[in-house]
Formats: sequence, C-alpha cells, structure tokens
Amino acid sequence: MLITSRALIESRTLLERTKLAWQFYRQEYHLPQQRLLRWTQTILLIFMLALTQSSFSVQQYLTQNLQGLLGADAKISQRQPFTNQQVNDLSEQVKELVATQQIKINFSHQDSWQYISLKAVADSYPLQGELLTATSLAGNTEQSLTGPKQGEIWFDSRLFASFNLKTGDIVHIAKQEFVFTKLIKHEPDRLMAGHNVAMRAMINIADMAKLNFSENLINYRYLLALDSTQLSSLQDWQQQHLPAAQLVHKQGNHPLALFWQRTENFIGLASIILFFMAAIAIEQIALKHQNKEQYFSAVCMSLGASKSTGIVVSILKWCFSLLLLLPIALLAAAACHWLIIHYLTDNFPNLQWQWHYGLSLKTLAFISLIFALFYLPVWYSLLNSSVGKLFTSAKNTGSNFGQKLVSVAVLVIVVLAYSDNALLTMMLVGAMLVTIVLILLLSWLVLTLGEKFTQNLSGLLPFVFFMMKQRLVSKSTQILGVGLSAFLLLFTLMLMHDLGKTMSSYQRQHDGNLMVSKATNDQLSYLKNWASEHNIIIRQNKSYMQAKLIEINEQSLAEHTDKPSDSLATFSREIRMHWNNQLPSNNRLLSGTWWQADSDNWQQVSVEQEVLTDMGLSLGDELTFIISGQRYSFIITASHEFKPGNGSITFWIQIPTAAIAHIQANHYSMASLEVSEQQQPLLAELWQKFPTLRMVSLQQMTERFDNLLAMITKVISGFSMLIILLAGIVILASINAVEANEQKKNSIIMSFGFNRMTCLKLNIIEWLITAMIAAAGAIVGTYLAGLLIYKSQFSLNYQPDFVWLFVTLFIILASVTSLGIIASRKSLNSSIRQLMTE
Amino acid sequence: MSSTTHSSNIQASYIQLRNISQSFALNDTKVTLFEQLNLTIRQGQSYAIMGPSGAGKSSLLMLMSGLELPSSGQGVYVKDGVKGKQESSLEALRPDIGFIFQQFHLLPELTALNNVALPLKLRGDKEAISKAKVMLTKVGLQDRIHHNPNELSGGEQQRVAIARALVFEPRFIFADEPTGNLDEKSAGDIANILLNCCKDSNAALIMVTHSQVLANKAEHVFNLTHDGLTQLKGYNTKIGHLEAAC
Repeated sequence: MLITSRALIESRTLLERTKLAWQFYRQEYHLPQQRLLRWTQTILLIFMLALTQSSFSVQQYLTQNLQGLLGADAKISQRQPFTNQQVNDLSEQVKELVATQQIKINFSHQDSWQYISLKAVADSYPLQGELLTATSLAGNTEQSLTGPKQGEIWFDSRLFASFNLKTGDIVHIAKQEFVFTKLIKHEPDRLMAGHNVAMRAMINIADMAKLNFSENLINYRYLLALDSTQLSSLQDWQQQHLPAAQLVHKQGNHPLALFWQRTENFIGLASIILFFMAAIAIEQIALKHQNKEQYFSAVCMSLGASKSTGIVVSILKWCFSLLLLLPIALLAAAACHWLIIHYLTDNFPNLQWQWHYGLSLKTLAFISLIFALFYLPVWYSLLNSSVGKLFTSAKNTGSNFGQKLVSVAVLVIVVLAYSDNALLTMMLVGAMLVTIVLILLLSWLVLTLGEKFTQNLSGLLPFVFFMMKQRLVSKSTQILGVGLSAFLLLFTLMLMHDLGKTMSSYQRQHDGNLMVSKATNDQLSYLKNWASEHNIIIRQNKSYMQAKLIEINEQSLAEHTDKPSDSLATFSREIRMHWNNQLPSNNRLLSGTWWQADSDNWQQVSVEQEVLTDMGLSLGDELTFIISGQRYSFIITASHEFKPGNGSITFWIQIPTAAIAHIQANHYSMASLEVSEQQQPLLAELWQKFPTLRMVSLQQMTERFDNLLAMITKVISGFSMLIILLAGIVILASINAVEANEQKKNSIIMSFGFNRMTCLKLNIIEWLITAMIAAAGAIVGTYLAGLLIYKSQFSLNYQPDFVWLFVTLFIILASVTSLGIIASRKSLNSSIRQLMTE
Repeated sequence: MSSTTHSSNIQASYIQLRNISQSFALNDTKVTLFEQLNLTIRQGQSYAIMGPSGAGKSSLLMLMSGLELPSSGQGVYVKDGVKGKQESSLEALRPDIGFIFQQFHLLPELTALNNVALPLKLRGDKEAISKAKVMLTKVGLQDRIHHNPNELSGGEQQRVAIARALVFEPRFIFADEPTGNLDEKSAGDIANILLNCCKDSNAALIMVTHSQVLANKAEHVFNLTHDGLTQLKGYNTKIGHLEAAC
C-alpha cells in the first residue's frame, strides 16, 4: 500500500515536472541559443540519418546481388596455371567446377584501339545463373546455355558500339582470326570477378591456348559449386597447397563491398569533422545554458524542491527539444536519402529507395547519446547548484577544463572507433590538436604582447588589447571556435580546389602522357627501340616482379589483422616488388637504414610508411612472399615514403638488387612516355604487336580521374555546405554565449561618457583581432593537414597555392568579422537605462 | 578629508533644464511623467531626488545626463572652461559624466584595480593603473585592489564603482539608488565616501534615492511627484559634517 502510494506520488511528481519542463521549453523556444542548438542538432541528424540509410541500402543491394548474381558459390584464382594434380584435388572437394581465364589486352581493330578484358571460358560455362546474349544492340536478349565456340568471339555492348561492329565481322587478336557472333548482355560471374569497368570480350578457352600469351599475364580461375560444409576444408586445402591463390566465396566480403566500405569511411571522416564542429557549437551554447539552468535549479530548491527537480526538468526539456526536431529531421533525411539513391543508380543499377526503420532508430539512439554527451556538463553543473548561489549571484563564466578534456577524449575515441583508416583519422585529429594548441598559444601571446606594447599608445587599440587580455579564457574559447571552423572550412575548400589542379598538372609535368604499367623485358626492349625510332621520350623506367604477401611473422594475413584497410585489400592480390641498391630519388627514408650495394644480406625489405602503419608492422618484422610459386622471407629493415618532384612511379615494397640472383621470377617494367598528338596512331602498331602490353593513355587516365573527381567534388561540395552552415552556427553561438556580458560591457562603457560609435569601433577592432588570430591558426592548421594528408591519402604532391589560400582565408575572415559585427549589434543596442533597471 | 586636485576655473559649469516635460505612449495611452520642470544643477554641489516609484526619477536622471531627449522643453549645458562660458545642448555633456548604479555593475572578470582603470584606459591614459590605485586608496580599498568583484562585499563593490566613476574626473556624477543594495552601516559609509569624493573632485553629484538618510546628506533635496518637483532643502541649508575617506 505504501509502495503504491509512493509510486502514485512519484508518478504525479513526474507528471508535474513534465508539465513544468514543457512550459519552460515553450518559453525558451525563441531564445537565440535554443534556436542555434536546434539548428546544430537538425543538421547533424539529417546528415547522419541520410548517410546511414543510403549506405545500408547499398550494402543490402550488394548482398542481394551477391546471393543471386555470383554465378558460383566460390571462386579460386591465381596468376599461374593450376597443375593437373591441383585441379584433380580441387574437383574432389567440390560438387562442380568450371575453368575460366582472363587477360587484359589492348585490342585494336582497323585504326581504333581499346584496353579490354578478354575472358576465355570452358564449354561447361556458365556454372550457375544466366548467361544472357543478343545479336544486336536493339535485339532480343536470350539465354545462352554455353559460352562462345572455338573461333567465335563475343563483345559487350560498349565494346561493340565503340568499334562499330556487326555480327559476322572478322577481328584479329595476336594474329588469330575470330568471328564476332554475339553481344554479351549479362555474365553471371561478373561480380565474382571483381569491380571492373574495362570493356569485355569472351572467347572459348581452347582458343586462349592458341594465342600464346605468356602464362603469368593470365588470371587462371575456377568457378566452384559447393555447399557450406565443403567451404572450410577447401579453405584449409587452399592455405596449404595454394597459399598465393585468392579464394572468394559468397559468405565473404566482396571487392565491390570493400570498395563501397572505403568510400563510406571517407564520408565517415567527413561526418567526424562535422561532429567536432557541432561539439564546438554546443559547447559554446551550453555555457550560457549552464548559468540559466543553475539559476532555475537554485530557485526550485529555494522553494522546497529537491535537487533532482532541476536536473529532471532540464533533461525533460532537452528531450522535448530533440523529440520535436525529429519529424523535420526525418522528413529532410528521407528526401536527402532519395536524392543520394537517385544519384547512385548510375553505379548501382536498380538500387531502390527504402526506409530502414530499425536502423533509423539505432542511428537516432546513437546521435542522441552523442548530443547528451555534449550536453552533459550542463547537467553535471546542476549537481553543484545551490540556493546559496542565488545570494552570491556568482555566475559560472569559466568552464571546467577537466570536463572539456573528458568530452574531447570521448569524442576522439568515438572518432577512432568510427573510422577504419586510423592513420588518416590520427592525422586529422593531430592537425586539429596542433591548431588548438597554436591558437591558444597565439591568443595568449598576441594579447599579452599586444597589451604590453600598446600600453604607451593612445586610442582604442590599447583598450581592446587590455580587455581581451583580461577576458583571456572566454576570448580564447571564442577565438578557438572561430579558428577551428575556419581551419576545417579552409581545408575542405583547399582539398576540393587542389584535387583537380595539383594532381593533373603534376602528373602531366613529370609522367608524360602515356603510362606503361606492365611490360615484359622483350616488350621493353622493343619499346625502347620503337621510342628512339620515333623520337619519343621515355621519362621513367623501373623494374619489378610480382609477389603475393602470404605471412607476417609466420602468421597468415587473416591471423595478423582482421581490420579492413586499403593496404590489406591490396595485399589480398599480387603486388609489385621493386629492387634497387640506392634509395630512389622520389623516395625519402623514414626509419631504419637502406642496404649497402655490397651487402651479403639480400633478405631485407623496405616498406612504405603508410602501409607499415596500416598493417601494424614495425622494423624487424618478417614478411613472407610467394614469388613464382616459391616462398621467400624478408626482414623489414627500413621504411620509406614518396617524395614528390621526380616522377610518380614508386613501390610499396623494395628489396636489394642482390636478391634477384636468388629469386627465379619474371621481370616486368613500369615506364612513362611522352607521345605527341601526331604520334598517337603509332600506338596501334605497338598494340598489334604486343596485345598484352599494359598501357594507359592520358586520355583514359584523365577520364577515370575526371569521373572520380566529379564524384569526390560532389561529395565534398555537399560536405562544404554543411561545414559552412555549422561554421556560421559556431560563430553565432560563440557570440551568443557572451552576448549578455558584451551588452553589459557596452552599457558600462557608455556610462563613462562614451557613445555607441565608440562601442562599435571597439567591437570592430576586437573582431579583427579575433579573426587575425583565428586566421593564423587556421592557415597553419590547413598547411599542416595538407602536408600530412595530401601525400599519404590522396597521392597528391602538396604544392599549396598561397595566393588562393590567403584570398580564400580573407573572404572567410571578412565574412566572419562581418557576421560577428552584425550578430553583435544586439549587444551594441544597450543603454545605461538597462543598467539602472537591472 | 583629502585635498582637492582641481583648478578653480571650472567651477561654474552647470546643467539647466527649462520647462521640461516627459511622457510616453503605453497601449495607445499617453502617460505623462512630469511637466514643465525647471532645474539647475551646478558643478561641485550635491543633489538628491526623492519621490514615489514610477514618478519618473530615473527618467529625469537620463534627461539631465543628456542620454534621453525630453518630450518638450530644453536642456542646456553651460561649460565654463579656459575659453570662458560656452552654452551647448546636453549631448555635449557626454564626456563629462559618470554613473553609479544600485547593482554596482562591475565587470566580473576584472580585478578592482582594472575595473577602476577601465575608463582611463578607454581615454588612452598611460597612467591609468597608477591613477586607479590612488583612487582606490581614496575609497579605502588599497588592500583589495587585486580582488575580483565576487570576492568583495556589497559595500566594497560600491566603493570600487565610486572610484571608477570618479577616476576620470567627470564634472557630473549621476547615482541611481547608490545605497539601495546595502545595509544601514555600509549605506552610511558609502554615502559619506560618495559625497566627500565628489566634493573633493569638484563634481556635481545627482542621486536618485528612497533613503531619507542619504538624501539629508545632500546640499539640495527635491521631491518628484506627478504634481511636479518640490525643493525640500535649498542652497542655504548647511550640510552635516562628513567623516569618511576622500
């Protein structure tokens, strides 16, 4: 009975508190700081909801497509032919298998050429799914039960269109004749082969042998039908007998999924920057809330209420504020989600808009938690409120450094957990921390020295320095908010500007306009003669062999790390291993020592720094590679990084030249050439001679690059808009946080016999000093972030355009100062009468 | 009592209100505070304005200081300087006025010393700090100069406010309920300091107050009601002996 009545009283109390919270929420709705808080929260809610919904839709799309469109339960592939024994072993372990082979060649017909992916399939192809073909672009699509017969070739629609072919046409590959018979509309194992945009052609596997391509240029692949019980034994067998082979299965991560995951991580990093901005904005707003809420709590206590009343009412008010934002945020997020899906349908056909309710609830819970974390200091301060504070009327103008530190630490942990690219995240967080320290140091230095050196001057400047120095803590917070916003905004804009400009101009300057990515020794010597014959310059030429990393310190890659990263994704395939005796001129030694030319120890390796960090490697670790079917182990003795200015051909893994004597493997070369417009037709002859010579012309390179750039630009533009919006909010919040103090200060100044014009002048000078300190911090932060991130994350040579940088910064700061002055006009609208009526 | 630092050639400056009326509109109704007031405020003398709440005491203070304009009538400022007497509108009074408030209104982040130095710093005075120290000593706070306002009692805060209002040597000090927030003992002390310091600085002191005790210490006392301004104490009345700092 007692419990029931207590529960009744408590529920009544809660109802009363809810009513009270609702009443105060309504009253405070139009206050500037509430408006700013709503804006900040709405922007983040929309961004996060739209992002998670869209990425989930894509992931779901990929999963569904993998289920139905893989054309096999698993695929095993490697760069060497499988031995008969291996094929027999394999067939014993699976229900069914089909052999396919794939090679990339330059296909030329009449005077045109195209870099294509040529696939050869066995008669039993396809294994699973539908192989769809047609006889003309507009013709009916029909299902083919087998692949091309011997002597036949099929093309995909793009290749067909680009060569203006018709069925029955004769084409030549490596002097062999083929009849074009069908158009490929759909290959069931296309996704299993990886995300590849090259144009495609298909022939019979028996014809591949006749083409006499070098074995090591061909990707040998078996499509496998098996059940899940056979998978693990197959994996064991592969680890044991074919460690360099790649096994992809339905249950695993698909390359396209990984590609999307990386894109997602980039956007994730963008959202982290937004979180930081929001944290700054909310921190500024919370300072003002803190005093207000503490006052309210103390009043409640003076009227006999418990301490919890103030806290509960504050939490309920916060909940009302968040709940009422949800309808707008959800609607806007749904619209953004629709736009994103619409935009992605180019890359993901048939991707459909769908709202995932469970996911949206999860996202909302996560963001609410983050918002609550940002707001926690306000509630914490209520624990310390007391009736006594009403008497002393002491306001908490400063803020608890410890609380801020904890908030920052939690935020950094969230950021690290969120991103898969620890190096990039740490670089950004590092640049931000340096900017923070620099701005704080600059604020202290400029204000202290400014005050000291202007002491003997007359005018308003010494007074402004004096006042700013006296209010060092609150001023530093304001300058920090503005400075960090300016830094993040400037960095985003600079990245967008430079991605296009620096990269394309740099590559043209140093790399020529034709890149040979894989040439055999015969091909290279022919290429050299051909180049000198036609007066073509070979800009760079570097040798390599292909190697597959299989073990780190005698552990397989999967055992070593399960954290997805760019490096790990690349190591799942063969990589290029370069040898030399001296550190290449476009590399810089970062740790360890480079080997001597006469050293007997050939089992040394230098690893690129980012790869080292990504994979969690250190000097002294042992790397085991499979090179041409043999195992070779190397000890990491150095790490290097790319140094711009001497060509862009660089390698992740480099070994001493002495090792070549111990390794039996084919050698290839990468080279870059400068071919004039008039010399372009000469390339057809070269490809006719060597269809497997891998070349990418500038036109192709820039086309791929331009497509990538267009997508990145769209992403960054959208992101910049949000950053600009949040930067505006941060500035308004920082002004709003000190508005009451500013208003009082202006009134007091007027009571000394000065007019509003003097206050306005003081305001302008103060904002100029604020903007200048923030600008210095922002420019150094941006420079540092550029220096760290450009090279390692975007392979860009960082050549900052200082004129552009300063002009952009000037525009940002002029806007900041103007916005600051306009937003401060309310504090100028003060009067001595207000001081009398207080 | 400390000695005056002012030269005698500025003693005759005064403010004159001629047939001043003040009214405002409230919900389409005209509310008249006072009509046809005439008053002269002379530099170096003290004035107390009393009256019921809502009679317009603060408005009269704002008019006298030239910060608000009257609905009708004229206010003039006659400044006696080295060039002789010059008559101008009350707007010209701005550089020569200082204020003291009931709520003190010190800037919380500044020490007592920096609060007092503030008006001098604004005027570009290179000796702001040393002058502020002298002024704080005059109001008896030489030991509290480095304390922040929240570390000072109400009486001490008001002393800082007095020092701040007088440090730049204004000719007229307007005080709005300067002892309204203080206990009887502190109020008495502050009243003495205020009057003595103003006398010492040769500044006119115009106070709005409900305190009869404070008003009695002024040389001129007026009562403001809706019927007009009545002088309760005039030029021939001697003020009591004041013992305090300054």
